[in-house]
Amino acid sequence: MASFDRFEDMCDLRLKPKILRNLLSEYVPNEKQPLTNFLSLSKVVSNIATHKLLSESPLASVDQKHQALSKSAVDDWVDRLLALVSSDMPDKCWVGICLMGVTCQECSSERFISSYSVWFNSLLSHLKNPASSRIVRVASCTSISDLLTRLSRFSNTKKDAASHAAKVILPIIKLLEEDSSEALWEGIVHLLSTIVILFPASFLSNYDKVEDAIASKIFSAKTSSNMLKKFAHFLALLPKAKGTEGSWSLMMQKLLISINVHLNNFFQGLEEETKGTKAIQRLTPPGKDSPLPLGGQNGGLDDAAWNSEQLIVSRVSALMLSSSTMLTSLYKSKIDIPVGSLLSLVERVLAVNGSLPRAMSPFMTGIQQELVCAELPTLHSSALELLRATIKSIRSQLLPYAASVVRLVSNYFRKCSLPELRIKLYSITTTLLKSMGIGMAMQLAQDVVTNASADLDPRSVEGFDAVSSKNMSLTNGAVPQACSKKRKHSTNSGVEADNSAFEVRVPHNHSSSPITLKIASLEALETLLTIGGAFGSDSWRERVDNLLMTTATNACEGRWANSETYHFFPNKSTTDLVEFQLAALRAFLASLVSPSRVRPAFLAEGLELFRTGKLQAGMKVAGFCAQALMSLEVVIHPRALPLDGLPSLSNWFPGSNSLASQQHNNPNLNNLNGIAHDGDDLCNRWLAKADVPSNNAIQKTLETTLPSQETKRLKLGNDLTTVASLSVEDHTDMVASENVQQGDVPVKVSEESLGQVSDKDAMAPQDGYQVVSGTQKGEDIAVTDDLMEEAPIGKKIESLSESDDDSIPSIKETDFDPSSDSDIES
Amino acid sequence: MEISVIASSSIDGEIGSWDLKTGNKQLQFKPCASPAHGLTAVGEKFLAASQLRKESAASGSIFYWSWNKPQVEVKSFPVESIKALTANNEGTYLVGGGTSGDIYLWEVATGKLLKRWHGHYRSVTCLVFSGDDSLLISGSQDGSVRVWSLIRLFDDFQRQHGNTLYEHNFNEHTMSVTDIVMDYGGCNAMIISASEDRTCKVWSLSKGKLLKNIIFPSAINSLALDPGGFVFYAGGRDSKIYVGAINATSEYGTQVLGSVSEQSKAVTCLAYCPEGNLLISGSEDGVVCVWDPKSRRPVRTFNHGKGPVNNIQIVRKTIVDNSNKTQFSWKRRGSLMPPPLEKYERSGEDTMDGIVTVDPPPFSDVSAYSSFLSAGLIDEQVRELQQQGSAATEIEMERLELEYKRSLQMNDQWQKNYENLLQVVMEEEQIGCSN
Repeated sequence: MASFDRFEDMCDLRLKPKILRNLLSEYVPNEKQPLTNFLSLSKVVSNIATHKLLSESPLASVDQKHQALSKSAVDDWVDRLLALVSSDMPDKCWVGICLMGVTCQECSSERFISSYSVWFNSLLSHLKNPASSRIVRVASCTSISDLLTRLSRFSNTKKDAASHAAKVILPIIKLLEEDSSEALWEGIVHLLSTIVILFPASFLSNYDKVEDAIASKIFSAKTSSNMLKKFAHFLALLPKAKGTEGSWSLMMQKLLISINVHLNNFFQGLEEETKGTKAIQRLTPPGKDSPLPLGGQNGGLDDAAWNSEQLIVSRVSALMLSSSTMLTSLYKSKIDIPVGSLLSLVERVLAVNGSLPRAMSPFMTGIQQELVCAELPTLHSSALELLRATIKSIRSQLLPYAASVVRLVSNYFRKCSLPELRIKLYSITTTLLKSMGIGMAMQLAQDVVTNASADLDPRSVEGFDAVSSKNMSLTNGAVPQACSKKRKHSTNSGVEADNSAFEVRVPHNHSSSPITLKIASLEALETLLTIGGAFGSDSWRERVDNLLMTTATNACEGRWANSETYHFFPNKSTTDLVEFQLAALRAFLASLVSPSRVRPAFLAEGLELFRTGKLQAGMKVAGFCAQALMSLEVVIHPRALPLDGLPSLSNWFPGSNSLASQQHNNPNLNNLNGIAHDGDDLCNRWLAKADVPSNNAIQKTLETTLPSQETKRLKLGNDLTTVASLSVEDHTDMVASENVQQGDVPVKVSEESLGQVSDKDAMAPQDGYQVVSGTQKGEDIAVTDDLMEEAPIGKKIESLSESDDDSIPSIKETDFDPSSDSDIES
Repeated sequence: MEISVIASSSIDGEIGSWDLKTGNKQLQFKPCASPAHGLTAVGEKFLAASQLRKESAASGSIFYWSWNKPQVEVKSFPVESIKALTANNEGTYLVGGGTSGDIYLWEVATGKLLKRWHGHYRSVTCLVFSGDDSLLISGSQDGSVRVWSLIRLFDDFQRQHGNTLYEHNFNEHTMSVTDIVMDYGGCNAMIISASEDRTCKVWSLSKGKLLKNIIFPSAINSLALDPGGFVFYAGGRDSKIYVGAINATSEYGTQVLGSVSEQSKAVTCLAYCPEGNLLISGSEDGVVCVWDPKSRRPVRTFNHGKGPVNNIQIVRKTIVDNSNKTQFSWKRRGSLMPPPLEKYERSGEDTMDGIVTVDPPPFSDVSAYSSFLSAGLIDEQVRELQQQGSAATEIEMERLELEYKRSLQMNDQWQKNYENLLQVVMEEEQIGCSN
């Protein structure tokens, strides 16, 4: 009989109905049998997911008999669940509803389509039934949400689905108003979010009702902070239901008014009264009707909560979170963002630091001030988050406001010492730099550098006891120098005064900046270097390079963090440490690669550090180090790629050959093609060096130049100039046609010969033409700086050799006669 | 993605457009007679061109076309004739350079003139945004090239303190600047400018210095940059396209890519198309030619017909598969054409009403995604059950136990009271009875 059947392996399709039936009889309760082993349910769920037990193998290859078997097994499963769902016992009912949700996710499309409305109604009845227990309701919300999610993936049932979704809204809003359990609220908010995302149209008639219900929950004193966040998030999604510009703007206006009204109360005695009224006036321009306050007429404006600072702040934070979410989540239509109001709100909040204006002091008691000050950091944090969301949402269009944002940020940076807020500030600077580019880097560089150097001050590494004394001495040497540098280079006298004040203060407040703050500041520095590294060459660059080198070596000194080896606690990984190392390495790499005037000062240290890092066991760090080495390879072997490596255009222009042949006589076409098909690359160039050209002049120049090149190569291993000389030839090929036209030297020779370029140089300035390769693009610019002041050729050479002069100072001094000069390049 | 070449002319005519890949002629936009550098695509949204006007006309004019309509949709009339016109990459701002040397910056969505400043002593000839839209580079008839940081331009604080508005001022050209290109170098980018003085000059953005001067045999009208960054193409007035090398040691760049016509009609404009690495040239005889820079051969020509071509732009339009859909989205777009550009800067309170209109990001209408939760709910419940010994439940147990004890005590108390009372009552009764 069946028990003697053997299966092929664990993937045998015939296995599925067997396992399902087994699960059904062993673990899933039925009407009579009580729920014995509650814990086994998670095993049932995981088994269903692993073996795809409910999928009913749609493959045609499976024989009829098996299909029938599997169908009947799933039939039984569904019947059992339906029976459970309608059971009187809450626990069985709960099991049935939860498993129904899993079934919606896992079952085959055919089964789902044919029976979803039955399932839906049986689930909905529990929400409508006033007698059903709380756990059952929570489960129903979740399962209905899953059912709707599955339903949304069918394109042909959109209408029906929307009408189903609409049926849910009123009952759950009623539940939301009546019940006071947070678990149920959470389920309801989740279901509402699912509906607003998937079937926004179903909200139409109940939009205001939903908004009021959610707002009243936000304003209720009983809501926990975690739940507040969820409500706020949903409130931000709600305008999607209407999907118009108007609904978005209206919601934003309501939120901002509500926030400002709350702040008017909270800031009483801390700021001038006029500020609040001005803010509200701005939000409700005269001539336009002001919208209903959030949460209906009584919008939580006069309840007992007014006297609790904590409550006001948590409310305002929730509302700000809601605005931030609105700003950053995707909308399908255009939106009008009230940037002016948002920025002035942020400014208003950040301006209050708990100190009392002199005129106000008699009106406020010490206790009052104490209560306010205790809550202010939370408020500031929310305001900063709002600022970040604003910047993120309008990106380049921030332009007209950018200068004031920069001023706001840098002023606040100077005042703020709480690590949590500083982290937020760094993330704002990063966002600003990324969204506004070079122009922003020019404005922000000084602030970022000043603050990051303070936060990364290596003398205050706490929690990193492994810092060796050797390193300490190194960093101690570095830092005072950096500070003096900064003073010297500060351009604005006002800024300087502030900076020095800041420095004095820093050691006390930042004696141990937490690791997350260090990571944030490293990220800010990295972004600054990525975007505006080249602009800092005069003032801050050297200091930052030094700082990042020290930080990276310190971070990696002694212990290469490895999330596997540092498991002191089984569940607590050392991700923080790994993150810090990664951030330090990343910033260090940026400082090495970012363009600067001279050869990166710490290239050797960097290469060594990354090489060691690559061998470490921690995969994240090792992976990054490998990547870093690859990026640096371009720095040590600069290349200029020839044009002729490009893919053929034949697929773009099938008929291009005919067109070319009919006009435009290009005498050197064949030659060019010859080059193109040579398959040349750097390797060939290296090999080509060995060939001695027949041309006398070339021979001569070869003799003069080769030795110096050889010595260089010996000294440096991979020397910049030698490689550069190779790439020059690439260019000669690319632009060589003119020479060929002149006809003395065949192009092929030019490709292989060393002296060709100098040969041409002799023909310049009439028609000779030549390219000096970039050893590395960045350096090249640096190098050609003062090109105009002297004779182009000789100067050029000198500057070229400057790119590697750190290691070979003698080269610069060597007397180059013009002919050998040009050969160094070539 | 559909890539088109559009070309306009200085003589009253139309803007021609061709599909670069197939070579098919597409919709023509008219009427348009624009100066060099006066044609620009605003984001991927629509097409804008400044117009050459008769001397008598007091104001200039700028026309908008949507992609699917040949007629002008929006006409704006700035206070003076606009020569160079360009939009930032996102298509949110439009910058125009006037004949007086003033530069105008408009917000496209509202048409507001956000800023007007005196950029040059003579007419502005070309305007270029940096890759990240934060810098603007302008060239002028007076031979100067200036780099502006837009953020600083809007910083009234710094303005009032008398700082110069520009970041760099390059004065080495002796005659009118004809074209400017900037490479992909980010903060370390190189700027190349071409001029009627027969030179191209290479500038460093980060240092603000001249790096290189390259002399050509004829005046250079236009530039295109090879993205690799080592060579640039210069269209000469003598019908030749020259190849210049940024790092050349020689002062002279006479490398010729090819010549566009035998009659030595000037090459007026160049564009580089990174898709397929193509160079596109336009010339005075009305021919638009597509070159393969690798083989130095022309691969395709388009005939613009009437008059000299003086602007070429490569525009990318996203193709929507369904033709109905295309119609629909175009219709929608057409109705969303922005208002005309305003003439004057607003003053006082009205300057900034603090509203910024943000377009939805492209591809925002992908269907929403939501995830399943039931399995998670079960797991969570099970975990909660398993953690019966957890702190929270323990505390709760303690509390309940305490409460239980207290109520037991209370119960005892009440019981005692009751008994006492009962006793008192009984005693009273007995006394009563005995009486």
